[in-house]
Amino acid sequence: MAISPLSSSARVARAPSTATLSFLSSALRDLRVSPPAVSSFAQSRNASHQAQGRANGAKDGAGKRLGAKKTGGEYVIPGNILFKQRGTHWFPGDHAFMGRDHTIHAGVPGYVRYYRDPDRHPKRKYIGIVFEKDQILPQPAHAVRRRRLGMLAYQMPTTASEELTDDLVATDSPTTISALPNTIGLQSTTAISTTPPTANSAAAKAIRRSSRIMEGLGVTLRPGYQYRQPNHEIGQAAERKEAAAQAKGKTSRAYDEYKPGDRFAAWRKSGVRIARNNERRAMGRGKKGKK
Amino acid sequence: MALDRSAGRLARCIRCTRHERTLPIRTFTTTAPSRLETQETQASSEPPPPPAGATTDAPKPRLRDPNTVSTRAAEQQLIQHQRITPVGSRRRRAAIASTSNIPFSELPYQCFQEARAVLQADRKQKLEHIRVQRERIERFKAKDVAPQDEAHKEKKVADMRRRLEEQKILADINDPVVKRKFEDGEGDLNKPIYRLLADRQWRSYRRTLLLQRITQMNVVPDVLPAIDPVVSTALSFAGKRVQHGDFVDSRMSELAPSLQIQPYDKGKRLYTVVVVNPDVPNVQKDAFDYRCHFLASNIEISPTDTRVRLGLLGEEGQVILPWLPAYGQKGAPYQRMSMFVLEQAKSEGGGEFQTIDVAAVKAGGKYTQRHGFNLRSFVDKHLLKPVGVDLFRTKWDEGTAGVMQRAGIVGWDVEFKRKRVEPLPYKRMDSVRYR
Repeated sequence: MAISPLSSSARVARAPSTATLSFLSSALRDLRVSPPAVSSFAQSRNASHQAQGRANGAKDGAGKRLGAKKTGGEYVIPGNILFKQRGTHWFPGDHAFMGRDHTIHAGVPGYVRYYRDPDRHPKRKYIGIVFEKDQILPQPAHAVRRRRLGMLAYQMPTTASEELTDDLVATDSPTTISALPNTIGLQSTTAISTTPPTANSAAAKAIRRSSRIMEGLGVTLRPGYQYRQPNHEIGQAAERKEAAAQAKGKTSRAYDEYKPGDRFAAWRKSGVRIARNNERRAMGRGKKGKK
Repeated sequence: MALDRSAGRLARCIRCTRHERTLPIRTFTTTAPSRLETQETQASSEPPPPPAGATTDAPKPRLRDPNTVSTRAAEQQLIQHQRITPVGSRRRRAAIASTSNIPFSELPYQCFQEARAVLQADRKQKLEHIRVQRERIERFKAKDVAPQDEAHKEKKVADMRRRLEEQKILADINDPVVKRKFEDGEGDLNKPIYRLLADRQWRSYRRTLLLQRITQMNVVPDVLPAIDPVVSTALSFAGKRVQHGDFVDSRMSELAPSLQIQPYDKGKRLYTVVVVNPDVPNVQKDAFDYRCHFLASNIEISPTDTRVRLGLLGEEGQVILPWLPAYGQKGAPYQRMSMFVLEQAKSEGGGEFQTIDVAAVKAGGKYTQRHGFNLRSFVDKHLLKPVGVDLFRTKWDEGTAGVMQRAGIVGWDVEFKRKRVEPLPYKRMDSVRYR
């Protein structure tokens, strides 16, 4: 800004005019390192402060509704929230537990107790549950803990095994499930063999017999609880189909059997393939054929 | 099966305790292992001729030295063919194999020999102290005292004896041979120094772990008010070790386990072993009851005679309640089977351990009831002192029904389900406003 007129005037090789000199001196004054002795005014930044928005921290947010939700002695059921807090001002005592955000919950039905237990921890405050109104916490040291079963006994259903066996065809095969593992019938019928069948065992014979029975389907229980044909059977399916066709004097193959090195057959086959492709292209599927 | 295939790899790791061990861990012995002796004699003499039926084509397994095997394959061969567990750590064995086997006294390190000389001089001094202390005790015991000072004299003799024991330990504690023998598992627990080292080793980790298990699982104070274990226990069902507090399959715990009780102070003593389950569900009370699964008294234990097979104890003189299989019904929470080793009271003179009259206990009938067995009362009645504890857990599994049927226990077809807790009313019934 100040330099460009100076440099343009310096290129002129005539005697400088007074206007040019005064301009130069002012330009040189600008380039001086030491400030002039007397300044007309003191430069300073104006006070500016972000007055709006969240720059200074929210002073007055919404309340988080923390604190005690149940008073001492109040009846609660499992899962009830006893105390909401940030951090652990209170710890879960007997039959209470702490949730994800340090909330204290009740673990059993009973009455709330707020207490300290110097034997457990000298400084912590606990919230616990007692079963009866007159019981207090903490319990004396070395006393048997108060516990409730909270369960009822039921007769186990034993009919499930019969229902299940009706559906299955080959019940003697160890690969079939004769009973659910958690149903209880007679010991002999529900025993599920855990040892692998050896070659001569009755179980192995049963497997062979069952595979012979289900020859047409060839479906057995494979590892991973899959009822399906084994992979080697699937792989032999084409050969088996061809053998059946040959027995009738036909063939199931589209081409002759592959012989390595038979170039004439290969040439004929490629000719057929090229002709079929040309024909398909001529049908004009989309723009690809036109291009 | 895939499990069997992987088990072979697991079996290689001899420190792993999760699988069935082919050989016991090398523990403390009073003598050299017999296998080791036979192996040494075989190595020195000619190898035995092969049996008549054996074909000569089969390659003969190489004889391995348990002190120097340091590869996995060699260790495996040693375990499989010679049935010997390798000694110490693999690093140590490799070091022994790669260095010349010179005894300590001839090692050519001057500083080492100087240090040994210092230690030996110190040991000589300690032995002299022990001799003097013994003489002092004898002299003091022979001295006549007034009848009112008898108690004081006895106390002083006991103090002198304790000092004597301390000196016995101090005499040996700096001996490198003692340290080496202990680390090789060849320590003789008849000697105080090895008992001390074994006790230190137990207290350094395993006892802390045991205490953690029994406090976290509240065996103390649910079964007994407090316990300070001074003997270590190791539980095994059919040869399989069970860690403190582990879940045991009900079919595995059908037969009585064997318990290894290792005391760390000298002498024989009589113990009572009791197995109590404090988690028996009681629907009527909506609470839990106690059940005693095993109770036997007058079991003699010493630092070198530690094993107790709970199923093979004497019917008349020892067993009060025979083993009842551990079981937990379906749906019920897991059940803690706490085993306590209780030291029986000493007689008036303080010398002998008193036997518990098993016939009288059986006739009394109070402690022959399995259900509702109160161990606190039993301990108080017979002046027992709890010295050891072990724990395993059981819960319903696929074998439990069969185990219960075979043992003739009713309730194998009972299932426990949670009781519904009535929800609180949405509004308070008796107040005008909800808030």
